[in-house]
Amino acid sequence: MAAAALAASGWRRLRLQLLQLQLRVAPLVARALLSAGPQWRTRQPIPQPFSTAADQATFDTISRFKERPWEYLESEEYIERYGSQPVWADYRRNHKGAIPPQKTRKTCIRGDKISGNPCPICRDPKIEVDHRNVKLLEQFICSHTGIPYHPTRTGVCMKQFKKLTTAIQDAKDNGLLRFAVPRVEVRLEDYCGSHAAVGKTPPPARVGDEPWYSWYQWQQPPEKEIARIRQMYKPFLKETPTAAAAPSETAGLPK
Amino acid sequence: MAALRTTRRVVQRARLAAFVERLCARDVCSRSPGEPEVKAAGISKPQFMDKEVQNILGRITGLNLEKVFKPMKQQLKPPQYKLLTDEQLDGARHEAMEVAKERLRMPPVLDEREAICDVLAEDKILAGLETAKYVFTDITYDMPHRERFIVVREPNGVLRKATWDERDRMIQVYFPRDGRRIIPPPIFQDENLLVVFAQERFEDILDLCLVQFEPNSADYIRVHHQTYEYIDKHNKYDLLRSTRHFGGLVWYLSNRMRIDGLLIDMIQRDLMDDAVSVVQLYHMLHPECQSANETNVQQAKGIELIKVFSHTDSKKGSYLELALQVYQEAISSSADQDAQRKEQN
Repeated sequence: MAAAALAASGWRRLRLQLLQLQLRVAPLVARALLSAGPQWRTRQPIPQPFSTAADQATFDTISRFKERPWEYLESEEYIERYGSQPVWADYRRNHKGAIPPQKTRKTCIRGDKISGNPCPICRDPKIEVDHRNVKLLEQFICSHTGIPYHPTRTGVCMKQFKKLTTAIQDAKDNGLLRFAVPRVEVRLEDYCGSHAAVGKTPPPARVGDEPWYSWYQWQQPPEKEIARIRQMYKPFLKETPTAAAAPSETAGLPK
Repeated sequence: MAALRTTRRVVQRARLAAFVERLCARDVCSRSPGEPEVKAAGISKPQFMDKEVQNILGRITGLNLEKVFKPMKQQLKPPQYKLLTDEQLDGARHEAMEVAKERLRMPPVLDEREAICDVLAEDKILAGLETAKYVFTDITYDMPHRERFIVVREPNGVLRKATWDERDRMIQVYFPRDGRRIIPPPIFQDENLLVVFAQERFEDILDLCLVQFEPNSADYIRVHHQTYEYIDKHNKYDLLRSTRHFGGLVWYLSNRMRIDGLLIDMIQRDLMDDAVSVVQLYHMLHPECQSANETNVQQAKGIELIKVFSHTDSKKGSYLELALQVYQEAISSSADQDAQRKEQN
């Protein structure tokens, strides 16, 4: 009996909720149906002043922070929004179940579209991941171990995480970020420079303008060789061997 | 490879011709390298690796266990607890001292290595065939790196030995060492070094230098000298005390006769024995200076030594005397206080 009564009350509540929903939705639907025509005719023009101080201020700050992103972390706007906590402190990912997927989304911004619930870096366009703003990078590194936090902890998208890792490495390379230097044992090697591989090797003795290899220059072949070849090609030689011996030889052979 | 064969032939020819020269060179290298200036009288200048010098520098460096075993940022492990008796605790402390002494072993101080610029062959027949240089490296495993042949064939046909930079890069490619990068990171450039010095990370940058460069390379010597200059200019000697780089700093300053700042710093920290040792080292390195002669004449010891130095060779003599005065007043006042307390008791 009680269960039936409960079930009945449950159904009544549902019906009441549905009615309320219909009441709320009806005018919206009516408006949509009325304004089914071209949107630009029915829409009222929004009165906008030509230029206010607020517009100028926002334009100045965005372009200023593009070149010097570390200044934003000192500004009042930043302190008001984040206080002394890191930028990822109040961010919560939306996912099914208790255990989050071990990879965050690939990127929050694709072209002009921004996804719902963007990551802590993408949701604030003034925050720029650069190897020079060390204060921001330090927020993403554990202060006890010196290891960068995993993206599942901070909530940043994979594209920003890659930018962060490269920026952290660049900052360490340029000496802006402190890190623990690994200890290397001192090797007591023989640093002598007397071996031929690293010492002086005098070039081989050459006389003046001599070429490096003897065959770079024309060399007179030995007479035996000339005689042998003449013997071989005797039937094809045009001039008589006795009359024009010297000139014909020098003319025929290459210079 | 034909290039390596050519190299070997040229080198063998040179070896036969220069046999005696190599013997002489080997004699020079059997002495410990450092600053081998042989004086006319025949007494050689003390080297960095001499026992006496190492003793003095070791004593000056000190052994602050808290600093040597400073906690490093790394992956955390759960802490371990041990229950020890008094004797075991003493033994553990003794072992810690041994490990600390090993950690404070000083890296060698060497002269800059001579540049390699030897041409082995000029094959003009190969000129213009290639657009890039070819580097041939001998990757025999069981061979010390200083005997490894590394040659470069330029596009104009010249076969030459690789420069030291090229050698280091190639050896790192084929025989990588932990922590060393193939191309040195930009932290060693002058503008970034200034940033590091402003953060007072002298030990870090010198350790990075040890990881990346060879002790006789130009970059290693340049970075070390710049660090020592900055420390001397801003009187930050204490940051390197109890590290393995302090000996190198004292050696550098003593050789260039600029130990005033260091002495003042030591006297202000009540390290009178260290100050005396530094002056003794200075006299060992420059036995012909005025201060050394005066000391020999007067047979001065202890604080007298420093007073003689401040009168003669010191560049900041007035500051040094002032510091000595303050120190002596402090000692006398504490002695008076002790005497008063004893009378009361």
